[in-house]
Amino acid sequence: MKQKNSLQNSDSYRASGVIKAIPLLLWLIFSGNLVCLLYYLVVEPEWSFGNLVNINGFTLLIGSIVTFFSAVISNYAKTYLHGFKYHARFMVLCLLFTFSVISLVTFNHVVLLLLSWFLMGVMMSKLIGINTGWAEARQASKFTQRYFLTGSFFLSIGVLFLAFQSNTFLLSELISGLGELPKLTLILASLSIIVAAIVQSAIFPFHRWLLSAMTAPTPASALMHAGFVNGSGILLALFAPLLFASNTLDLLLIIGGLTAIIAQFTKLLQVNVKQKLACSTIAQMGFMIMQCGLGFFNAAVAHLILHGFYKAYLFLSSGEEIASSKPQKPLHIKIKPLQAVVVLVFGIVGAIVFAQLTGKGMAWDSGIFLTLIVAITVGQATYNIVKQKSLSTVQKIVIPPLLFMSGIGLYAFMYNGVTLLMKDLPMVAVPLPITTVQIVFGVVFLIGFFIMKLGVYQKVPWLYVKFMNLSQPYQKTVLMYKSKSL
Amino acid sequence: MSQQHVLTSIEEASKVIGKTWPLYSFVTSNPLAGYEQSSFKEAIQSAKEHLGAQIFPEASVYRQALNQGEIQREALSKLLKENGFDQAPEYYLDVMESAKSTEEVNVQHDLDRMMAKWLAAFMDEGLAEWEMPGKKEGFYQAWRKLAKYDKELGITYENVIPKNSSEALREALKDHPHDEYTNIFTYHLASMPGWTGYINYRSESNSLWQQKYPISLQDYLGVRLWIAHHWKMEIVPTKEESKVDLDSMKLQYVWLKAWEKSWQNELLNLLEKESIQENNASLDAQLVFCIDTRSELIRRHIESKGSYETFGYAGFFGIAMDYKSIEDGQIRKSCPPIVASAYQVSEVPQAKKEQSFQRFERRNKQLKFGKYFLKRMKNMLPSAFGFVEGSGFFYGLILMARTISPRYLYRIKQKYATSHETFCEPELQHIAKHKSETLDIPLIEKVAIVKSAFDLLGWSQFARLVLFVGHGSHTANNPFGSSLDCGACAASPGRHNARMLASLANEPEVRKSLQEDHDIVIPESTIFIGGEHNTTTDDIVLFDSEVPYSHREDLRKLKADLKLAQGTATQDRLQVKNNSIEKAEEKANYWGETRPEWGLAKNAGFIVGPRALTKNKNLESKCFLHSYDWKQDSTGKALEGIMQGPMVVTQWINNHYYFSTVDNSTFGGGSKITHNITGKFGVVQGNGGDLKMGLPLESIKKSDDEMYHAPLRLSVLIQAPLARIEEILSRNENLQKLLDNEWIYLMVMDPLNENEIKRYSRGLEWIQSTAQKKVGAVGAKKVKEVILEEVFA
Ligand SMILES: [Zn+2]
Repeated sequence: MKQKNSLQNSDSYRASGVIKAIPLLLWLIFSGNLVCLLYYLVVEPEWSFGNLVNINGFTLLIGSIVTFFSAVISNYAKTYLHGFKYHARFMVLCLLFTFSVISLVTFNHVVLLLLSWFLMGVMMSKLIGINTGWAEARQASKFTQRYFLTGSFFLSIGVLFLAFQSNTFLLSELISGLGELPKLTLILASLSIIVAAIVQSAIFPFHRWLLSAMTAPTPASALMHAGFVNGSGILLALFAPLLFASNTLDLLLIIGGLTAIIAQFTKLLQVNVKQKLACSTIAQMGFMIMQCGLGFFNAAVAHLILHGFYKAYLFLSSGEEIASSKPQKPLHIKIKPLQAVVVLVFGIVGAIVFAQLTGKGMAWDSGIFLTLIVAITVGQATYNIVKQKSLSTVQKIVIPPLLFMSGIGLYAFMYNGVTLLMKDLPMVAVPLPITTVQIVFGVVFLIGFFIMKLGVYQKVPWLYVKFMNLSQPYQKTVLMYKSKSL
Repeated sequence: MSQQHVLTSIEEASKVIGKTWPLYSFVTSNPLAGYEQSSFKEAIQSAKEHLGAQIFPEASVYRQALNQGEIQREALSKLLKENGFDQAPEYYLDVMESAKSTEEVNVQHDLDRMMAKWLAAFMDEGLAEWEMPGKKEGFYQAWRKLAKYDKELGITYENVIPKNSSEALREALKDHPHDEYTNIFTYHLASMPGWTGYINYRSESNSLWQQKYPISLQDYLGVRLWIAHHWKMEIVPTKEESKVDLDSMKLQYVWLKAWEKSWQNELLNLLEKESIQENNASLDAQLVFCIDTRSELIRRHIESKGSYETFGYAGFFGIAMDYKSIEDGQIRKSCPPIVASAYQVSEVPQAKKEQSFQRFERRNKQLKFGKYFLKRMKNMLPSAFGFVEGSGFFYGLILMARTISPRYLYRIKQKYATSHETFCEPELQHIAKHKSETLDIPLIEKVAIVKSAFDLLGWSQFARLVLFVGHGSHTANNPFGSSLDCGACAASPGRHNARMLASLANEPEVRKSLQEDHDIVIPESTIFIGGEHNTTTDDIVLFDSEVPYSHREDLRKLKADLKLAQGTATQDRLQVKNNSIEKAEEKANYWGETRPEWGLAKNAGFIVGPRALTKNKNLESKCFLHSYDWKQDSTGKALEGIMQGPMVVTQWINNHYYFSTVDNSTFGGGSKITHNITGKFGVVQGNGGDLKMGLPLESIKKSDDEMYHAPLRLSVLIQAPLARIEEILSRNENLQKLLDNEWIYLMVMDPLNENEIKRYSRGLEWIQSTAQKKVGAVGAKKVKEVILEEVFA
């Protein structure tokens, strides 16, 4: 008895050491990464170690970001998971996950790349099922693992196919040698990689795993939504030249765009906070894929970082949604002509500022699309502000430009920084000529906007049920088991 | 088949479910309240049978209690022997440990999932922007209109589904005899006790949501049984051999009783120690706190800082009121759920402070717009994408700030929090049932409110400063925040009730009438002030903006002492020597904190008597304390009020803690770390499922394996003449039932008989306390009989 006790004590002693040490370690790695990043920006060194390791701006950028998230999240989990049976295991998984992401952007060898990708999935599914005493969580873990294995499988097919065809296992050589491969090879490889990417990002029709992953403790969800789902943005940026060479960008645009719209509608009917956040993530990932499809891989990377901040925050604070409220109908206020002019003017000014600061949309190419979205966003913000009665006229005139100037300014800062750091990666910011698909898609987007604005979707009951069922979690992860006391 | 029969059967069946309260007003109620007319033993047996729940503490908890000395070995061995268990306690621990609960595949999985999906969609309280179509027509009708689009259900035409829920029930039950109904309904209500409990709550409270979007248990059963019928499922529960092992239950029950007995012994021993009586000749101030167990700690620490007299009074301060918030205009109940509200309190600007009032309202509107604006930007296409890109950087900054400096943010929040108490005063009005009724309150009612406070508490002299201190908790990112607020105020903070009572007691006409009509003389120099005890940080805020200049110095000294008391109280509570206040503030505002404070955990006793009885004794926040002086209550009316009100409410709280502890996943909320908020009012675990109905694991356990709250039934101790209590009990059948059915224990300290302690036993019998070691042979025999009879006859 005594022995057993002291054994337990030393176990729990070790565990509490792990729990304290890992967040600290992650903060250290983050600081180290950040220092290297700044040094890199100033000195621009060449950091290659043999053929295997290649550290460039992108490596340091992703490394800083992922360590930032895991440091913040493990720090949070230190208290949040206090007393949880698997507290130490959570920390270890969090650390291993971080290493997988770092190695994904550090190694130049395709086998290591595939291994990192695979490990990311393994760690994530382990986090989803970390509470092994909970049968639904075990089901969710298995379920998500199947998706991640599928993703890894497709990625391996695509990448190994390319490697064998071009006789090299080095990523850099493989990318630079794409021009010599037959078109069919390129298409097959890029399709496989796209599948891997959209599985990871829970893009339709592979979205169900993300909606079934709430058995993970809240901080694990934060890590998932800020650091895991957007792995596809990294992957696609690494293989940007392949996507260009195989002419598969329009496919990304279509899949991403459709997902963005559908998931955004699906989000509106969610009654659970975490499912709502998951639908929002799916929509944002759709948008990110769409940015890739427009040739702006750097914009996609900027988006994945900013979205990571946003979504990590919302998950970590997801306990704040309890409130007593009254049933009420949303007000529909008509806009007056003068207000409409203000909205229009601000929208245009916003677009011009955006174009000036980011260089997107300055020419007649796919950048127009992104600038258009900024213009509408600024317009929507202005619209909401000018019709608000509690604000004075001065406030109505001052607040919108203040908001959008700071928003656009900070975005441009991020975007330009990301672009600078990604300069070693080939073809990550190549605006495409305007194609029919893009125009069609622009129109679809505008229609989606108007449907939402006018609220007509609310009058279509079957759509409600359709979207509701589309966003249900995997059945075996809900109410599948009953515990029985003896 | 008569509709009446169906309704009666539903009513009968609904005993099995409790009430799931919304988390924004989390009332800690007994989940087995439906069985309060039956005995504790019957209630738990039924819970075990229908809900498959654990009903006793786990063996590992008993083991911890035994090892920590909370279960006295002597008491335990004695009880075990008396009940025919002759082995050593450890032997029985091993026996109990060998029984483990198992996980089985849910035979009604699809049905449960289907119901959970539609119930969550229907009962949402504004989380979704796109609400379930047709909600206004009620649950059954709304579901019926949408069911044909639900592929899983397998229906193409709406007309296949009966037009209303009673027809649906008729169709589903057509092959079943009437006397099976109750059984069937019980089974189907008990398969989702959380959601059905919330339906129960909604129909009883008739909330605004219920008025607009009605739902009833009949609707639920109609949909559920019709789907089951349509899917050709068996709707009668399969008769498993009921494996209720009476022997093992008896064993567990003996352990529980031994634990309870041990605690009572300890309490009585503590109370018997001689108090150090102090000379209260000149009082610095008097403070009235809620009976809440957390008040015990702060009272002890304040008393040690100077000549302070403290009292315990139900935290709604005797005002049966609703409170209208100045921030969102909503009206919330602010008195015990068992009391009907007669008044409404709202805020009006103090004299010459209209400007601040208007500024506040304007700012408030802008804040509201800010929230609406964010929601709009996040929800709309395509601004959702633009918004994330434009604001992501700011989110990164707050992410960092909340991680690094929760305490600094807390200080800022406290500093800039627009505390409307500085320019508002509460106004008491009637709740008008008809338009023609006047809202003004006659003087006589105001006087009655103030008088009853002094009557109940046994007040003898007035200090210059008299404080009524409500309590509220301040926590961040905590869905269960309201469970930490005042139970006597229906899970609202008690500050407004405290302010209201202070304001009434300061009215000159009220004082005049008290003196002339009731002989209660309040010196002119006495000032009443409302306040709030922040139970997370032990800070006490005083709403003193209207205190006259003459009392400034007294107030300054009082505040300094309260600060000192905060320091030592937090040291005591958090078990740290240095920076205890900082640590408490961090706990209050850190978003990663799942145990910001312990609420009422460890509650086990309710002591009704003068403070002298408990003063200078450390009760470790385990007791509710109600002030009472039997000498000033010749008619027994005051005591009767205490037993009908606070005693019943504390029993609810205590039973809530008991059941949440013994089976946290059934009666409690499960672990907070995987909670998923639903509909703005509740939580589910993980991906969804049944609504959670009780306190989370983090409120009652130190860790997944270590206990914190000891699940013991409430022991009430009253100091009053025995005859008076017998009278009250024979007048109040419900109170006697509560005792006879063993939901609580009662001990009486009889001042007319040298403060001897007697324990209540079934049917108005009394047993002399064994702790006093005066028990004769008869007494001992009786104890034995009683236990043998109670434990599973
Ligand atoms: Zn209270």
